[in-house]
Amino acid sequence: MDLELSDEQTWLSESVETLLARDPEHRRVWASLVEFGALSVGRDGGLGAVELCLIARALGKHLAPVPYLGSAALRFAVEPLGADFGEDAAALAVLEPGSGWAATSPRTAIEPAANGGVVTGRKAAVEHADSVERLAVVAAGARGPVLAIVESGAPGVALAPQPALDPTAPMYVVDLVEAPVQTDPLGGETIDRIMTIGALLAAAEAVGAAGRLIEDACGYAGERRQFGRTIGSFQALRHLLADMYVRHASSWSSVLYAAAALDEDADDAGRTAAIAKAYVSRAAREVAHGAMQVFGGIAVTAEHPAHRFLRRIVVREQQFGDAAHHERALGRALAASAIPEAVSR
Amino acid sequence: MRLAATDSERSLQEEIRGFLAAERPDARSMPRSLENRMDALRAWQARCYDAGYVGRAWPREFGGGGGPAAEQIVIDQELAAAGAPEFANVVGLDVLGPSLLRFGTDEQRRRYIPAILAADEIWCQGFSEPDAGSDLASLRTRAEERDEHFVISGQKTWVSWGQFARWCGVLARTSDAGPRHRGISMLIVDMRSPGVELRPMTQITGHAEFCELFLDDVVVPKENVLGELGDGWKIAMHTLGHERGTAALPRQVKLRTWLDRVVRVAAERTIDGESLIDDPEAQVALARALIGIEVLRHHAYRTVGEFVRGGAVGADSSSVKLLMAEAEQRLAATALEILGATLQHGEPDAVDENEFWYETYLYSRAATVYGGTQQIQRNIIADRVLALPHE
Repeated sequence: MDLELSDEQTWLSESVETLLARDPEHRRVWASLVEFGALSVGRDGGLGAVELCLIARALGKHLAPVPYLGSAALRFAVEPLGADFGEDAAALAVLEPGSGWAATSPRTAIEPAANGGVVTGRKAAVEHADSVERLAVVAAGARGPVLAIVESGAPGVALAPQPALDPTAPMYVVDLVEAPVQTDPLGGETIDRIMTIGALLAAAEAVGAAGRLIEDACGYAGERRQFGRTIGSFQALRHLLADMYVRHASSWSSVLYAAAALDEDADDAGRTAAIAKAYVSRAAREVAHGAMQVFGGIAVTAEHPAHRFLRRIVVREQQFGDAAHHERALGRALAASAIPEAVSR
Repeated sequence: MRLAATDSERSLQEEIRGFLAAERPDARSMPRSLENRMDALRAWQARCYDAGYVGRAWPREFGGGGGPAAEQIVIDQELAAAGAPEFANVVGLDVLGPSLLRFGTDEQRRRYIPAILAADEIWCQGFSEPDAGSDLASLRTRAEERDEHFVISGQKTWVSWGQFARWCGVLARTSDAGPRHRGISMLIVDMRSPGVELRPMTQITGHAEFCELFLDDVVVPKENVLGELGDGWKIAMHTLGHERGTAALPRQVKLRTWLDRVVRVAAERTIDGESLIDDPEAQVALARALIGIEVLRHHAYRTVGEFVRGGAVGADSSSVKLLMAEAEQRLAATALEILGATLQHGEPDAVDENEFWYETYLYSRAATVYGGTQQIQRNIIADRVLALPHE
């Protein structure tokens, strides 16, 4: 049992951090990430779930406006199949108007056509759809949901911006009308993998954003004076900040543990990721609320950065199932685990 | 980074499971009377010690197993998973033993450690006082130096298993000079000494595992000082951190067995013909309790790593302690709410089960108090992790 980062993992984390810190305006963050190898997912010397989460955490800390989550999640999910997307960015098209994140019965459907297949339907909240080459579309196949890869500029693909809480994670409604599918549709296992890694990457980003808020809030609490004292000396705020620290530290532990479980192909990796996502979804927002309380009124102004981190945290909370989504599923599984024994009595 | 057990950890797990299958220990079938229960708990610890499952990582020359720290954690988790009773000498094993190993002389270690491991001599701790709880450094028990010994007078409280203890680690003031926590020393007190008086305290669960301890001119030889004079505070902080840092992994296993138990009981019970477990709100509440326990496990795995590699337990033990208390209290309250009216049905065959949940709930209130309150843990984090300013 060991959740310590290896030297290579620490180096990776610090390197991405440096790369992002050097480019505060995010002018060429995406190109730098690709050059750095942030998309080189793979077993043999490539990046695993832990490494991807380290990168996602750094992106969250810097609110980088890049299509990393979808691009990394897709690569991780298809890695066992050996599919190669080169340097293409990808966006995930899972949610539909009226649907949740379970992705079990999409209305978007794939149909056979002369050159493979075509996909038709409407997808919502497709993040960064305007700046990617590929769309990974969850669609109903003949035998359950499949993942169809569609070129974002293909005929029959129309993007329309939709209002988004976090402007650095722009969202699009994607209408597909007999859009050609590029590769053979990928099976349900790939969708499960996308949902698992997606949940972890979203959680890792939220952890990064929450960590930044704690740093800033502690710094502010050490400088701001009221009643003739620095406000960080007041026990009410010290305890609030300590609670934020516990939520943040344990959130990261949970993400790291779940990512390691995924890398080790543990039987309960999916369930562990659901637990991490459920926990972090609430915890990261709690940290943001606490930070805004420490900053006080200034954090309610648009110029103060706190709300930008809060926005990213809420967006990540809602993707790949929020706390309520995962709690319901975990609760149903717990109940089901008890039933055979009860019946046998 | 490695989650899966190593081959040697896996074979140790299998070995313990074999031992447990033969021994079939059951915390639930322990004798009710405290005296008989203590005897049974001592015998259980002694059997486990003989089998190599107590003090696995303690030095061989003092009766320990000399193994890696990770092995004891594997063992403790297996014992907890099997519902085995706790060891009789829990204070000796978790609190004073580690202090003796870290700060004691070789002579002290040879004298005390083997008997701690075999449960031949039970230990208790004399730290808190009626007027020195969270503010431990304000303690007033005094140890006066007279010739070749110290003479201790004062009153201690929350002395777990004091009535069965042969030895007590007492924090006492030996100097008034300098900052108040610098004048505190740790002394090993023979509980058979004249002037030692104990008064058991009945807890809200109805058990009396704690005592008040009265020390009236108790004579303690000078060689019974642990560490140097004035080291008491340092030793106590080391000890409490150790307790917080390493207890979490077996504790989360125990909490998980309780969660499985409430799920099972909820599936067996009905109210107005409806199974308790079919209630979606109950399912979500159970899921939240599960998440609390699992996140405790994840966080303890990450923070215990340094200890397992031979380092000290750091300030992060406070975050583990906070999560541990939160997980336990959430689970206990969840059980109470889910089982609800069935706890009052008074079915004769459900009496023991109901009593277990009431007791678990009542005792869970202690989790945010003992070993340093929730508020003290937050202070530690604010000071030592976040480095927030004082006045």
